[in-house]
Amino acid sequence: MKSRPNWPAGLFALVWLAIVVGPLLYLVTVSLRSRAEYLGKSAWEIPDALTLDNYVTVLTGNFGQYLLNNVIVTVATVAIVVLVTVPAAYAVVRNTSPFVQRGFTLLLMGLAIPAQATIIPVYLMITRMRLYDTLTAVILPTAAFALPVAMLVLVNSLRDVPRELYEAQAIDGAGPLRVLVSLVLPLARPAIMTVVVYTALNAWNGFLFPLVLTQSESSRVLTLGLWDYQGQFGTNVPALLAAVTLSVLPIFAVYLIGRRFLLSGLTAGFGK
Amino acid sequence: MSRRSWVRPLLAMGLVAVTAVVSACGTSGPGETSAGSLKIWALEDPVLNKIEQKSIDSFKANGGNASLETFGNDPYKQRLRVAMGSPQAPDLFFNWGGGNLKEYVDAGKVADLTSVLEENKAAKDAFIPSVLDGAKLDGKYYGVPMRGMQPVLLFFNKQVFKDAGVEPPTTWDQLLTLVDTFKAKNITPIALAGTQAWTELMWAEYVLDRFAGHEVFKNIRDNGPAGWKDPAVVAAMSKLKELIDRGGFGQSFASVGYDAGGASTLLAQGKAAMHLMGTWEYTNQLDQSPDFVKQGNLGWVAFPSIPGGKGDPSNLVGNVSNFYSATADSKNLDAAKKFVTTTLHEDSYIDALIEAGDVPPVVGAEEKLKKSPNPEYASFIYELVLDTKNFQLSWDQDLPADDATFMLTQLQEFFLGKVSPQQFVDAVAAR
Amino acid sequence: MSSQRPSAWYAVPAFAFFALFAALPMLLVIYLSFTAWDSLGTPRLNGGENWARLLDDAEARASVWRTLLLMVMSWLVQTPIALLVGVWAAGKQRSRAVLSSIFFLPLLLSTTAIALLWNALMEPNFGAFVGGPLFLGDPDIALYTVVLVISWQFIPFHTLLYQGAARAVPPSLYEAATIDGASRVSKFRHITLPQLRYTIVTSSVLMLVGSLTTFDTVLILTQGGPGTATRILPLHMYITGFKGFEMGYASAIAVVLVVLGTALSLAVMRWSGFRSMSSQQEGS
Repeated sequence: MKSRPNWPAGLFALVWLAIVVGPLLYLVTVSLRSRAEYLGKSAWEIPDALTLDNYVTVLTGNFGQYLLNNVIVTVATVAIVVLVTVPAAYAVVRNTSPFVQRGFTLLLMGLAIPAQATIIPVYLMITRMRLYDTLTAVILPTAAFALPVAMLVLVNSLRDVPRELYEAQAIDGAGPLRVLVSLVLPLARPAIMTVVVYTALNAWNGFLFPLVLTQSESSRVLTLGLWDYQGQFGTNVPALLAAVTLSVLPIFAVYLIGRRFLLSGLTAGFGK
Repeated sequence: MSRRSWVRPLLAMGLVAVTAVVSACGTSGPGETSAGSLKIWALEDPVLNKIEQKSIDSFKANGGNASLETFGNDPYKQRLRVAMGSPQAPDLFFNWGGGNLKEYVDAGKVADLTSVLEENKAAKDAFIPSVLDGAKLDGKYYGVPMRGMQPVLLFFNKQVFKDAGVEPPTTWDQLLTLVDTFKAKNITPIALAGTQAWTELMWAEYVLDRFAGHEVFKNIRDNGPAGWKDPAVVAAMSKLKELIDRGGFGQSFASVGYDAGGASTLLAQGKAAMHLMGTWEYTNQLDQSPDFVKQGNLGWVAFPSIPGGKGDPSNLVGNVSNFYSATADSKNLDAAKKFVTTTLHEDSYIDALIEAGDVPPVVGAEEKLKKSPNPEYASFIYELVLDTKNFQLSWDQDLPADDATFMLTQLQEFFLGKVSPQQFVDAVAAR
Repeated sequence: MSSQRPSAWYAVPAFAFFALFAALPMLLVIYLSFTAWDSLGTPRLNGGENWARLLDDAEARASVWRTLLLMVMSWLVQTPIALLVGVWAAGKQRSRAVLSSIFFLPLLLSTTAIALLWNALMEPNFGAFVGGPLFLGDPDIALYTVVLVISWQFIPFHTLLYQGAARAVPPSLYEAATIDGASRVSKFRHITLPQLRYTIVTSSVLMLVGSLTTFDTVLILTQGGPGTATRILPLHMYITGFKGFEMGYASAIAVVLVVLGTALSLAVMRWSGFRSMSSQQEGS
């Protein structure tokens, strides 16, 4: 029953491969050129020499600070989201009170709110709370807008837990907190992992909230830092692309280690 | 015993943990300044901020108390607007003078410095009067100059000009001829960073000023957008359109940026012959293309005259200077006044500015400027400002922010040929 | 028994947090759309002035139009490619598995990184296509260029969705068709496509919602330019609010964005079954 190879499809896949890989190759190769080579030679010519100077330039600048800020924002956002959504999802599945159920429906409506549209009131609130230009200012709305998808994923997964398991625990006399720790947490592990990855990616790549809610170098995250490099490095595009390459490395490492988790986090709530 | 009783405390603890995470990150925010200490805000600049900090240090050494906070360009304008309406307002704030300051003056937020400047003649007389006037509104002084003067100049690549056997333009017609010359040689005549509308604005400002005189824009600023309907505006914009249509800016200007360094690099590499830009272009070139400057290939002239035009050929546009203004309801108003009348014209402050390559707005600086790292360039700017009949602040700083933003968009459309001179005027006059 | 069930308090932190930083801003933006606020002082109610102005604003209309164009174009470019690549990548061959792990690489780059990369790639004087089209500098094709960049970024994501769905199609369906002598094309049309119906809907709506709220890509690539050629609705809001400081008017634009987004997302809920799931729990 072995089918013959599908040549047209293979060809199409190769063309697509070139489209995907071409820009990435450009990214890496230009980041290894000197500025003079970049300005003096066409991108298609083979460079005389490769150099790591651009990476040195980037790493001796503020890159570390931006990276650290990004890590803080990401970790704090994930911590908040996981801490508040796991108990909430448990309550949604096991507590039938109208407060919880209506609240959940309202929260799901949050899937419909484009974060962009709330940027002006968020800006107003953050400045009134005197949080402008702090990482907290970025973390709070980023976490809030990650809640709907996180809840959706967790609730979906907890609904799959057979009722009998909860009831067995209840018969053993376990209180809700023990159920949460000994039953919900282990069973929801894959879903929590998905939520962690999804939330982390969103926080890691966030742009609009940091753009509007922070300004100084000490609170600049990586995405804004990259954008800022564009002005700072000017036509030193190789250095800019070196910074871009460096910014990809952490996620690339995660991809190598936990490809399955990363991909499931990406499609959180949407993949079947 | 109900098990719920220990759930709540635990949940509360969880919340406390979250709050702790959150507030731990909040400590990097700016703290409150202690009472009696001057809070000073300025635009971020790696070189100049150090000098400003020094002036604060010397103010402190004389018994005062002050601290400096700095911000990048766009966030600065945003943050200042927010702060001026709140108790977090700084005592002294950096600004560009003109209409930019007027919005705050009209809102009653800015202290009148006229009397204190009259009392401290030494301070007042130290500054070039036309520059001091940059922060004069309705006959009152609202700011004191604190950074160098930044008129817009026409930069050119000397090597490219030499190779073509031509001289930099002194009249508009020469400029048009040069466009043809360089086009024939496959060189972009004028580099333009068209992704950033303020670079295009410099052309509109100079052409209108040379063609019709500086009063036309003054009228727009003082009496509202209807002033754009002055027929001189359409006529001037038509002149500019001639230059654009002739290919003066080449074909790809709409995707060249200034912050991204594109336009400056085109000039340095000889791919473009000229570039209209503020005086900071020099420092920028020195930073990005040091060889180009060191080989003496970066040239500069004043904007060409338009024969028959009403504007004085000595007129300048650009950043007149930057100013410190005091907030009207500041608790430290007296200290603020003392700061602006004592530190900003001190020799040490002026010398430091000159050393950093700035051209300070003080009288009698001719000798001192010889000590500048670029004496020829600094003296050129200094003479230019001393001789000018009128120094117009960039329109986008001189108009209210909403009108300025709208005008810049229309201007980009104009440069792309999407709107005609008449349509440009109709659009901005209808605001 | 009820003490064995989690109390409503378990849900309170999540709800409160969401209410404060997502729902409250939502309500505030509606309120602000009825105010004049230049961010200097406090917002001042000005009735329906912003809304009257919005109805009359040619630039806002044009930006809605551009947004719709962007949505439709990105759908048209992304869907066929993602569908074909996804189905191809679902194959069990080793070569396909290796190639598809490369196909997913753009997923690892942030929007900022992608926009900066393409910006450099298409730079007219030093980029990879010197002498070619101006891409972002040509007002007539700039929006399409943005579509291409967005597609490059998001096709891998949708490929992933399709790959997962295509793998879930029961092999017995194909085996039966093979016995009947069906061609490859016919199997794709009559088995694969109908089986992926649900995924096509989900992916499409995600694409549409995603392109409605595109912001960073355009801000970095063109800042809405040249002129206003790529000034889509979110960017029009940003420029009005944070460059022109007309926060009240920008809020009105934001409300339009919310209305469009909600309409689309309701479609997500309806078509992809989220709604049936949540109402089922409500016990109706």
